Amino acid sequence: MVAVDTYPTMAEAAGALAEGSRYLGGGTIVMRAVNYGDQSFDRIVRAAQVDRGVGSDAGGIRIGAATTMADILSAPDLVFLHPVARSIGGPAIRNMATVGGNLFAENPYGDMAVALLALDAQVVMTSGQSQPIESFLADRDHARGIVGAVIVPRVDQHAFRFRKVSRVKPKGVSVMSIAANLRHGDPRVAFGNMAPVPTRARGAERALAQGVNDSSITAACAACTEGLQPADDALASAWYRAEVAPVHLKRLLLNEGAV
Amino acid sequence: MTKKPISFMLNDAEIGIFVGEGAPLIDELRRNAGDLTPKQGCNQGTCGACTVLIDGVPHLSCITLAETVDGKRIDTTGGLAGGPNLHALQDAFIQGFAAQCGFCTSGMLMAAKALLDANPNPSRDQVIEAISGNLCRCTGYEPIVDAILAAAARLQGRAV
Amino acid sequence: MTIHKGRGFACINYPIGMNLGGDPSQALVHSTPDGKFMVALSSIDLGQGMKSVTRQIASETLGVPVEDVYVDTADSDTGPHCMGSFASRGTHRVGNAVIRAAAEARKQMMEAAAEELEVNATDLDTDGAGNIHVKGAPSKSITIAETAIAAQFKQGRTLSGRGIFLIPPSEADPETGDMTPVTCFAHAALVVDLEVDDETGEVTVNHINSAYEVGRALNPKLVEQQLIGGAWMGVSHALYETTEPNYPARDHGPEDFNTYLQPGPGQIVPHDIAVLERPAEDAPYGGKGPGEMCANPVLPAVANAIYNAVGVRCDYLPITPEKVLRGIREQGGARPQAVRA
Repeated sequence: MVAVDTYPTMAEAAGALAEGSRYLGGGTIVMRAVNYGDQSFDRIVRAAQVDRGVGSDAGGIRIGAATTMADILSAPDLVFLHPVARSIGGPAIRNMATVGGNLFAENPYGDMAVALLALDAQVVMTSGQSQPIESFLADRDHARGIVGAVIVPRVDQHAFRFRKVSRVKPKGVSVMSIAANLRHGDPRVAFGNMAPVPTRARGAERALAQGVNDSSITAACAACTEGLQPADDALASAWYRAEVAPVHLKRLLLNEGAV
Repeated sequence: MTKKPISFMLNDAEIGIFVGEGAPLIDELRRNAGDLTPKQGCNQGTCGACTVLIDGVPHLSCITLAETVDGKRIDTTGGLAGGPNLHALQDAFIQGFAAQCGFCTSGMLMAAKALLDANPNPSRDQVIEAISGNLCRCTGYEPIVDAILAAAARLQGRAV
Repeated sequence: MTIHKGRGFACINYPIGMNLGGDPSQALVHSTPDGKFMVALSSIDLGQGMKSVTRQIASETLGVPVEDVYVDTADSDTGPHCMGSFASRGTHRVGNAVIRAAAEARKQMMEAAAEELEVNATDLDTDGAGNIHVKGAPSKSITIAETAIAAQFKQGRTLSGRGIFLIPPSEADPETGDMTPVTCFAHAALVVDLEVDDETGEVTVNHINSAYEVGRALNPKLVEQQLIGGAWMGVSHALYETTEPNYPARDHGPEDFNTYLQPGPGQIVPHDIAVLERPAEDAPYGGKGPGEMCANPVLPAVANAIYNAVGVRCDYLPITPEKVLRGIREQGGARPQAVRA
């Protein structure tokens, strides 16, 4: 049996979180666990007022943690994230799944987190504390409190690329997903479902720092699995993922082939 | 277990029920509100059979916490027909043989209704996108896509 | 990246039903007092159209409008025995049982009408529109509703019938093993056109052409619906579905419909079908059964098309991108086979 406690604000809900409780966002993770009979928690904590806004912030664009994938799709400021949001679930899931929840979505989910990693997003807790998404993801299993928002820089729509490799079309979960922010000098390339959490491909980033051209693409593809830890799952083996990651990165960099 | 009182619009009727704490909406709709039209498929949010509209947009009722719909409007397949007259989508599904076992049909109809409410003249790809979270095991999807396009045409007064 | 096109062919002789125990099914038919007919079965309609087809068969045999026939398949406690909905046996086995039950009910209906019209039952015929009349004298007639009322309230007889279909036993010859395991075969030939990406091993099915010989198509729309949906399922089995992705290892099995893969609505394969009708002698109005065979030939045709495209022969299913890619790597690259025009 699960108890449900609703607090007026996310900050108050965060203060009420304790061992054996889970914060309910869009429900796609927590309610699934409830239905499954997950015994690791017996209390759901939720907030009546949640942050579902998209707006300007000193560091770029602030996306409230309760912003859904559908909300992103209707936010003109976030046009570069539209392909990412559109790749997640069918319409019903997109009306429910939130940006905050996606940061905690385990493989093969979490494609938005991959994009946010490539964007060097900042994760802001309801306490006001903020940290880079990379360190947040690395330690997310021990995260304390509730994510209040993420802040993403404004990026050139053409410099930001995203590709989700699914076997089921138009929608399926990721064999892998790749996001790249190809800004000059300091590019970011992030892979989803190629490690326990979304992870940067530092070898590829190094190769692309000199710019995106035929030789840097070749070098980036050759080095792209450096530091990744692909695993076997129902969708593909670690071997297959490592074999095709360079192929899909190449296609992303060349803007080639169907997404 | 504590029960919480909630009220909401179910199709065109105002409903007041006591919902179980932690109970998913699908259970309360079927067992408590007596609307058996949303189907309980996977209970994991992966099949779409339980799709209902909450305030006009599709949600999966199996992973919606029931108490969160207090004060909202829920539309299910149970409210599609107007008296003896089937909704154009229901009619098109029948005419187009868009169902075999029928288990996905309720969810498909609600996903399609949400599409046509927002976009009365969708392209084939938009129809495919609209039902991309709804699984069908029998039809191969093609008759369903065709039926939704036919219903859209009929609602627009166009020849199919 | 190179995309290789491939074409594969497969054909099938599909036995309708099985031999075990004679593979029987039963049907009971009775009229209501107002001249409608109930067909009681415990055969299950799981979407394939059992109720529609048995309703048509009962209507045809009884000589009454299809609207006046109801089929109840609800309950194996209250319905007469059926072996089950499998092996494409429904139309053939259950349909034959329904014909026998409906024929017996018709005989009683005609006798009841004959008593009312004071003629011989052999001189009567039905018009299919709810009336029974004297052959050659359509004006001398009685409605089926009036007949049922008379039978129920005046003559004290039921308009009912029992039917069972059992295939003739066929023992195996101890010397040669020769036997006739089934009495009726359906047939199909199917061509798959697809593309293989030689860098990822991904397969895209582009087109299916098929010809199905299913006896008489008792309900052509239902037959088409079965064949289209079944081919999708065939593609799904050929390329996607498995509970053991690392077979023979049992690990990493899928745990939901996101990880148990099936093609989505964005992967609809155009499918052109020719239905050939060669009514079978022992089949109800010639109808065999398009059930299981609508999926089966897709699997070998897909495997053959992949071999045709890249020279990789996969011999267990599903043919995942990984298996194709490993095959391509092991032979040192794609080896497209002869182009089949």
